[in-house]
Amino acid sequence: MWKGWAGAVGAAALGASVLAAGHAVAKVEGDTVYLGAAVSLTGKYTTAGEHTQRGYDLAVKAINDAGGITVGGETYRLEVIYYDDESTPARGAQLAERLINQDGVAFMLGPYSSGLTKAIAPVTEQYGVPMVEANGASLQLFNKGYRYLFAVLSTTEQYLASAVALAAELAEREGRDLATLKLAGAFENDPFSQDIRAGVLEDAAKFGIQVVVDDQLPPELNDMAATLAKVKAVRPDILVVSGHSKGAALAIRQVQEMRVDVPMLAITHCDSADVIGKFGAASEYTLCASQWAPTLSYRDDVFGSAADFAVTFEAAYGYVPPYQAAESAAAVLVFADAFERAGTFARDAVRDALAATEMQTFYGNVRFDETGKNIAKPMVLYQIQDGAYVVVAPTRWAASEVRHPTPPWSER
Amino acid sequence: MSARRQQLLALGIAAAGIALPFAIPDFRAQIAMLWALVIMAQTWDITGGQTGYNSFGNILFFGVGMYASVVVQRDTGLDYYAALALGMATGAAIAATLAVLLGSMILRMRGHYFAIATLGLGIAAGEIAGGWDYLGAGSGLSPPLFPAPPQTANLFFAYLYFALAALTFAALAALYRTRFGLALNAIRDNEDKAEAMGLRTGLYKITAWTIAAFVLGLTGGAMGNMLGFVDPRDTAFAGATFGVWMVLMAILGGKGTLWGPVLGATVFHITQELLWTHLLGWQRVALGLIIVGIVVFFPQGILGWARTRWPARHEQREQGSGRA
Repeated sequence: MWKGWAGAVGAAALGASVLAAGHAVAKVEGDTVYLGAAVSLTGKYTTAGEHTQRGYDLAVKAINDAGGITVGGETYRLEVIYYDDESTPARGAQLAERLINQDGVAFMLGPYSSGLTKAIAPVTEQYGVPMVEANGASLQLFNKGYRYLFAVLSTTEQYLASAVALAAELAEREGRDLATLKLAGAFENDPFSQDIRAGVLEDAAKFGIQVVVDDQLPPELNDMAATLAKVKAVRPDILVVSGHSKGAALAIRQVQEMRVDVPMLAITHCDSADVIGKFGAASEYTLCASQWAPTLSYRDDVFGSAADFAVTFEAAYGYVPPYQAAESAAAVLVFADAFERAGTFARDAVRDALAATEMQTFYGNVRFDETGKNIAKPMVLYQIQDGAYVVVAPTRWAASEVRHPTPPWSER
Repeated sequence: MSARRQQLLALGIAAAGIALPFAIPDFRAQIAMLWALVIMAQTWDITGGQTGYNSFGNILFFGVGMYASVVVQRDTGLDYYAALALGMATGAAIAATLAVLLGSMILRMRGHYFAIATLGLGIAAGEIAGGWDYLGAGSGLSPPLFPAPPQTANLFFAYLYFALAALTFAALAALYRTRFGLALNAIRDNEDKAEAMGLRTGLYKITAWTIAAFVLGLTGGAMGNMLGFVDPRDTAFAGATFGVWMVLMAILGGKGTLWGPVLGATVFHITQELLWTHLLGWQRVALGLIIVGIVVFFPQGILGWARTRWPARHEQREQGSGRA
């Protein structure tokens, strides 16, 4: 009996020592500096989580292949320690603790989604660990006074603002009274999409557009037939749908299946859901909010132009990079730049260098305001035209005129 | 296991609970989570193991506690600790009230019917919280930041959960030795007979569920603050994670035993932290295999298996403590 207990105690001691050994990985080990990241490799954000990880990996590889980064006269390689947050904030917060405390990581890359970023940001903030994130766009992240959080992407209220503005502009051109314009919206019930909703409603109010449908979609997005039935009945001029990759695919599929005729359909996450590949001609005319497009004219020294990044990415992973991959790669570039300017791996020096960032990447210009969000890069609006994503707004980047209105299904 | 040895084991665990946060300070967050999981498994076992009523809805009480606590912290303007204490108490009170109300309705159902009825509770609560603006709807709530460095916060939660786990364990150990414990077991073994003998089974079942709800309300109340983010489905009414885990941990250790849930939660948490984090994307598969493995090889849990394997010790245990 006592032997048994001795064995149990021995096993527990062994377990504790194995756990304790994890701390051996320092933030800078030899010539390698470690970044930590919790990304969604399982669960509802799997698709986008993978794009995120691939963006990080590609940038790390590109930087290392080009000789690494020079900090304080010495060259270092980058490496990322990953964990799978299972798309749940509870796990994300725990893994952030683990990365910081047990793996000794002093610099964090962001997770995918605003919800996960909301869970992880308080942890990194309290430990004073700088985090550059690329996939948490919710505006609420930037009104909490976080000092160690930096985001390379445009925030949520900008996502579909250009779509609403475009609808208003087109209506004015036709000589229509904006008050007769009707907007229907369906938004997933999660932090990101609810923020998108707030932005869309605000823009609609600004232009005096009536909101005739305002639905919530459940996070287990499998069906939005009820919303679309309403849309068919009230015949709005614009239908706006936001629900990450699953929501994008669902909207295109069911609008087609139910033959919903709407002059303008604007959604988020088209490219990460690969709606062209999945639905082909049925996805034509759809407007998509995007953080980035390969046709934009930004460039940097690591990847070259936006188009070069797209080529490199496609060669590595076999598909055109969605913006989630591009912005994730940009986050790594921002860190590398800050390390070199700081000239040290001291957290606060790196944090101050990040705050002073002013650079152009293939993804766009990066300059953070005092809340940590990037204010130097606009959103773009794609339209799917002849099986390709074409930038149609804002005018400065537009490669083509918007095709409007979308013809009814009977003529397609 | 004799009573003396049980006491020694309990003392050893108590010493570990006090020493561990200082012995391995980098692991405080995980230690706190371990004790929280122990509480979840223990409370699930009150109805699931001792009474034979498998509830898949206990996550409801956990989530209610979490929301109540953060809302109290948000709206009362008290200082951090006072608001947290008041919030946890409020959460526990609401959870217990809900258990009485819901219990008086659905605890009349037996077996699978009860299990299925409870399955809906957590899901419904998640939907309600996700659509209710007062609770932040789908955007969730952010609790106030802990007013001290993070390692102090982790120490606080590690001890808070340890104290709560130890109290729960002691209370349940005492409770299972009374007539009340016997009545619960009688309901599990044959509810009709128990009723025929004059036991007011409904009252016992509701009381058992209410105790579980009360403790889970406290646990959830602190968990919102420990995790730093309240999401309707992913942290509060997280049926797919905490909700399933509490059942799994109790069964893994051996349901219907005092030590089983403690053992099950410990094994589960250490497995998860040691192995899963290194499987990158395959940990759910590993969890699935573990569940299948438990059901096939250890249907009675680790303690149940040990009993069959070493029946002599089991005899000794029966004599020592009445029930193990």
